[in-house]
Amino acid sequence: MDSRPDDETLLLAVAERDMGAFRTLYERHAGWLAIRLSRRCNDRDLVADAIQDTFVAVWQKPRGFRGDGDIAAWLWGIAIRRLVSRLRTRGGVAAVSGHPGVAPAAEDQVLLSVEYGDIGQALARLSPEMRAVIQAVVLDGLSAREAAQLLHVPVSSVKTRLYRAKAHLRAALAEGPS
Amino acid sequence: MTGWHLDDDMLRRYVERTDSLAEGASAEQHLLSCEPCRARVTAAVTAAAGGTGLSVIDFAAVWDRTRDAVEVPRPSVFERLLRGAGLPAQEARLVAVASAFRGVWLAGVAAVLAFAALAAAFGHARGVWLFLSVAPIVPCLVVASSYDPWMDPALEPELVTPYPMLRLVLLRTIAVLALALPAVLLFGLVVPGETAFAWLLPAVGFVAVVLAASTWVSPLRSAIAVSSAWLAAIWLLAARSGAPEAVLQARTQAGFLALAAASFAIFLVRRRRLHQLRPWR
Repeated sequence: MDSRPDDETLLLAVAERDMGAFRTLYERHAGWLAIRLSRRCNDRDLVADAIQDTFVAVWQKPRGFRGDGDIAAWLWGIAIRRLVSRLRTRGGVAAVSGHPGVAPAAEDQVLLSVEYGDIGQALARLSPEMRAVIQAVVLDGLSAREAAQLLHVPVSSVKTRLYRAKAHLRAALAEGPS
Repeated sequence: MTGWHLDDDMLRRYVERTDSLAEGASAEQHLLSCEPCRARVTAAVTAAAGGTGLSVIDFAAVWDRTRDAVEVPRPSVFERLLRGAGLPAQEARLVAVASAFRGVWLAGVAAVLAFAALAAAFGHARGVWLFLSVAPIVPCLVVASSYDPWMDPALEPELVTPYPMLRLVLLRTIAVLALALPAVLLFGLVVPGETAFAWLLPAVGFVAVVLAASTWVSPLRSAIAVSSAWLAAIWLLAARSGAPEAVLQARTQAGFLALAAASFAIFLVRRRRLHQLRPWR
């Protein structure tokens, strides 16, 4: 329907050092990457730095994308790791994702139970710490070490929290909706 | 495509971060594979960045920084190595900018050494002499050229900036030795016998002499003087006895160690005179 170049075409152009294509790629992806990163880290400066690092990395190694899957997923993989490494070098910044943790409204509950069965409610009952770990490890696909750096906790805590969270979810699902 | 898309409410909740974890997770999973929804999120985010307190980051400013970052040349391998060793970016640039660290210069030094080492490996006694005359003076020549203002015009603007001269000279000396010593050692491995290492103490001694001398005269000039003295001495020795053992004797080696210690002490005492490297002052 539109004649805009797709992401892969843009990435090829970036490999040819095309600044215009690079800019288009930035405008297309910086927004959603930033909002997703800012859900993991409250510090806007760090998110801005991570976005910058991400696109610098893309410029330097546009051929890092091997053509499997979506370019958006590839970009996200770079972005979350850049955020983690920024957190590591900055150190000491309170960066726990601080998910607003608003209890789902009634209509959301309905939506969730339609979409996810009981998982949604089970997740909602987890403590914020456990949810943060689930988010980092299960949803973002980070390693335990990366998650530990993101959340500023020891690796061992990530592992135990993940283990407990899984046990929690399993129990909640076995019990059925309460 | 599943035909399922973020509806406007969900999108708003996602951007405002008022959704639940599960809903957010499903939105994120969907966004990875759905370009139209990504475009809507981006539009919502950039629109928010224009005004209200919802703004995430300043996208225009981040773009400017990103463009600046990719437009400056990448630091050299050596500079990145220095940074990896824990040197702050600015100092790494200051150390690495010396022309002594440019590929051509290093390749020339390596070629001379390789030639000498090969001569030693195949040319027996004479070759060993050749190696012994070249190897000890290479480090001090490279060190001198790494901070000599004549060799290295790049030093000029750096030295007008208030940066401690002592630190700069020592950093460059250490960096250059970290590069040159392993190279000479490597070539020394093809040299038969203990000769392969006999040059080490003389080399250290000469570097210290050059450091001390550069509180009086230009480093390159002192390095050339030291080298000439060494060459004259070793050729005199070769003409007289014809055996390289003299340099290997414990007494001679101890002498070189004493020379190194004394010169370095002089260098430290007179370190303020390093300012004479700024001839335009």
